[in-house]
Amino acid sequence: MKIMNPPEPNDPLDALLRGRSQYVEDNGFTSRVIARLPRRRDRFWLRQILLLGATALGSVLAVLWLPWNNLLPLDFSALLSPNSHVLLPWMLVLSVVGSLIGAFIAAVQWED
Amino acid sequence: MSFTDADLIARVLLRADQNAFGELVRRHQSPVRAFLARLTRGDAHLADDLAQVTFLKAWQKLQSFRGDSRFSTWLFGIAFNEFRGVARQRKELALEEVAESPLELEQSAAAPDRNLRLDLTEALKLLNSNERAAVVLCCQNGLSHEEAARVLDCPLGTVKSYVLRGREKLKRRLAPAYENYESA
Repeated sequence: MKIMNPPEPNDPLDALLRGRSQYVEDNGFTSRVIARLPRRRDRFWLRQILLLGATALGSVLAVLWLPWNNLLPLDFSALLSPNSHVLLPWMLVLSVVGSLIGAFIAAVQWED
Repeated sequence: MSFTDADLIARVLLRADQNAFGELVRRHQSPVRAFLARLTRGDAHLADDLAQVTFLKAWQKLQSFRGDSRFSTWLFGIAFNEFRGVARQRKELALEEVAESPLELEQSAAAPDRNLRLDLTEALKLLNSNERAAVVLCCQNGLSHEEAARVLDCPLGTVKSYVLRGREKLKRRLAPAYENYESA
């Protein structure tokens, strides 16, 4: 803490000056300042890109590793049967799509 | 729980927290607006416009605040720069230098009762902007000379002479009022 200038003892000018330092009421000043604040996009676009990029990368890897042969069987009637070999890849696809949608929404709503 | 200025600044920097910045504005708006009102010779509208710009600049430049001075000192510095910019535009600085000479003339010619009516607000208007800023910062807001030098962006010795000259002018101008003040 800096040492302030001590007022001169018994100096009426100092007393007068200090007596004049009245509090200025806010009267909506703070609200007006906050309303005019620009949004800090410079700090957020990087986070948005990282968020979407990481999700996209994970999705690409997941898609590459998906067993496409089981995903689209030649016999479409197999889709109707509760077969784990068929259901598991579809669940993975849905997870990937869901993650992408979630990441997009998170990136868009980051500043709200 | 009350946050310190440093806590609020950290929140603004890390999260662009507008609520934290709002709290900083609420805390410091009064001295900044009063300081600018003095500098603008009581033009409340201009002072408030400059104060708004001051806080908007503070928001934009907050990353450059190193914490080696008080936040209020840093704000006063921005405020004074904004005032100086407007004053240059309006060529008030040039006019103020001219305004110094009538002080001596009026002082010798003025009737005592007229001096009595001249209060501190009016007397401060007769100082030039540097003297007024230095006196208001040091004598009214309690800043050290070092802090005021940082605000006014000038050497320490210059600030001391601004304060000294400003105080002398005020004392001479308010001399009759002083007597009443002391007897009150």
